[in-house]
Amino acid sequence: MFLNGIEQLLRRKIVLTAFIATVVFLGFYWWGVSAASSVEFDLGNDSDAPVMSMLGPADAALAAIITAGPLAATLLTALIIVIGSTMLPEEIGQGRMPFWLSLPQSRLKVFLSTSLAPLAVSFALSVILFAGIFIITRIYFPFSPRSIPLVLISMLIWLAAVWASVTLLSLIVKKVASMLITFFLAAVASMFGGIYEIMQMFPGDAPDALVTVTRVIMYVFPADRGYRGVIYGLIPKEAVITENLAFFGVTANVPPVHLIYAVCWSIVLLGLCYWKFRSMDF
Amino acid sequence: MKKEPLVQVSKLFKSYRKVQALREFSLFVKPGMIFSLLGPNGAGKTTLMKILLGIVKYDSGTVHILNLPVSSPLSRRGVRYLPEYITFPSWATPKVLMRQLERIRHESSMHDFIHRCTELDCVDLMNRPMGKMSRGQKQRVALSLVTTGQPALVLLDEPSTGLDPGGRIMVRNLIKGLASNGSTVLINSHLLGEVELVCDTAAFINKGRLIAEGGIDSLSKQTGLAFVETEQTAEMHKALENAGYSCRTEDKGVLIQLAAPSAFRKFNEIVLTTGIVFTALSLKRESLEDVFLRIMEHSNVEDDIVS
Repeated sequence: MFLNGIEQLLRRKIVLTAFIATVVFLGFYWWGVSAASSVEFDLGNDSDAPVMSMLGPADAALAAIITAGPLAATLLTALIIVIGSTMLPEEIGQGRMPFWLSLPQSRLKVFLSTSLAPLAVSFALSVILFAGIFIITRIYFPFSPRSIPLVLISMLIWLAAVWASVTLLSLIVKKVASMLITFFLAAVASMFGGIYEIMQMFPGDAPDALVTVTRVIMYVFPADRGYRGVIYGLIPKEAVITENLAFFGVTANVPPVHLIYAVCWSIVLLGLCYWKFRSMDF
Repeated sequence: MKKEPLVQVSKLFKSYRKVQALREFSLFVKPGMIFSLLGPNGAGKTTLMKILLGIVKYDSGTVHILNLPVSSPLSRRGVRYLPEYITFPSWATPKVLMRQLERIRHESSMHDFIHRCTELDCVDLMNRPMGKMSRGQKQRVALSLVTTGQPALVLLDEPSTGLDPGGRIMVRNLIKGLASNGSTVLINSHLLGEVELVCDTAAFINKGRLIAEGGIDSLSKQTGLAFVETEQTAEMHKALENAGYSCRTEDKGVLIQLAAPSAFRKFNEIVLTTGIVFTALSLKRESLEDVFLRIMEHSNVEDDIVS
């Protein structure tokens, strides 16, 4: 059933479009990075020269990754929201769900194998995209990432949180509404995720209300923590620029508790999805 | 040896909010039967089928298939279902769909599927995407998918939908073939003419209740209409009218309304005394449509009295 779901998704134009967009994106990225690697910077003011001379290829890699990261994230968020919001409702709407449920398999198996397919496809595309960014960057600006396992784990957590929420919403509201709500939640979480990083730079300086709102949003929709983990794990160890990274949307660190919370949150949402699915008559 | 019922439904209740879909419903279906569920729209037939498959949950009662509660996925081993409305992915070919199904059910081979497609005259569609097929072609493929191999129980919801007369004959033969190979077939159809030709037992459902059940022959009553098959229709018509009968000339004979089915013996003697050559003399039974209308009317009158 899971393979059937994957087969079904891979035939969909949206997935093909996302795959083409990934290839085109990586092509542009390659072109941009290769062009940047051959540029000789005019240092201009002499007083900047000592600072500039400290910068190495790893800093250029850092700049390239934190530029490409949000663009890749937008593409992947859009993909998982679209395919996640349509997978179950389409199987139900087209009358195929009674057919699948009439086969000798449990309802839990039908639910998991159908709904997990969008997560698997998005994760695969995400790995291709970020691996592409990593490899292309490394070809022109050699560097060592901080933690590849963290990248993979965070990526899965980030996508799982978006997927769990859009899947649950798709069983409660109409398809388009579930997409819009999840897009909105993802955008708000991303914005406040950035604000949280900046606040981390200036502890105690932020207004209490802002701190509270930021924390509430992180608890309500923790997908952003996973995304920050991806970027944090990917950026170069050797970079000289290590301070004020929050201004570029890069976290100073990702506390494991944040990631664990996001995992638990996704599991709870998935449980709610199944509870809803289980109580449905088709 | 007494056959154990394949399908056992006992005191089943199911409601959708305020609507009572099934009320104290009991039904037993033995193996090898071709069983039809008949009733008006909204009677609860599809709900019953879906309960048997564990697709719809019920409020109370017991439902077993092959002695297993329908809540267990194992009860669906060897059970096949064709819903009334299903849209297969437009890109998928019958071969792909068969492969997808067998990934889950592990009950039949591609060879079996090709055999069934040949039987239903859709083997040339094996590599054509479903989106490029007519409604009738899709229905033939769907029927092939659900009846491939040796299923124990086949539930068909309006199996003749979209089929031409040739296709309907094929479906009838398919159903008879399944039953002769030991499969039990449960049909939900509004095409009573089709049902009459293929089913041996029927259950009439109205407003969620089982109102009649039995062999189709035993359910249909003598109508009191007699038919004399003859080439001399005008002469026969005149002779019987002279004998005091109300007649109507038809293509191949004369139709006579008797006072009661018991008057057939006397009528038989009168036809013989006319001296006109006839090839057959029969007392007509109710068609399934007549049975359906009679039973439903009776059920509605009873409901009115109760309310």
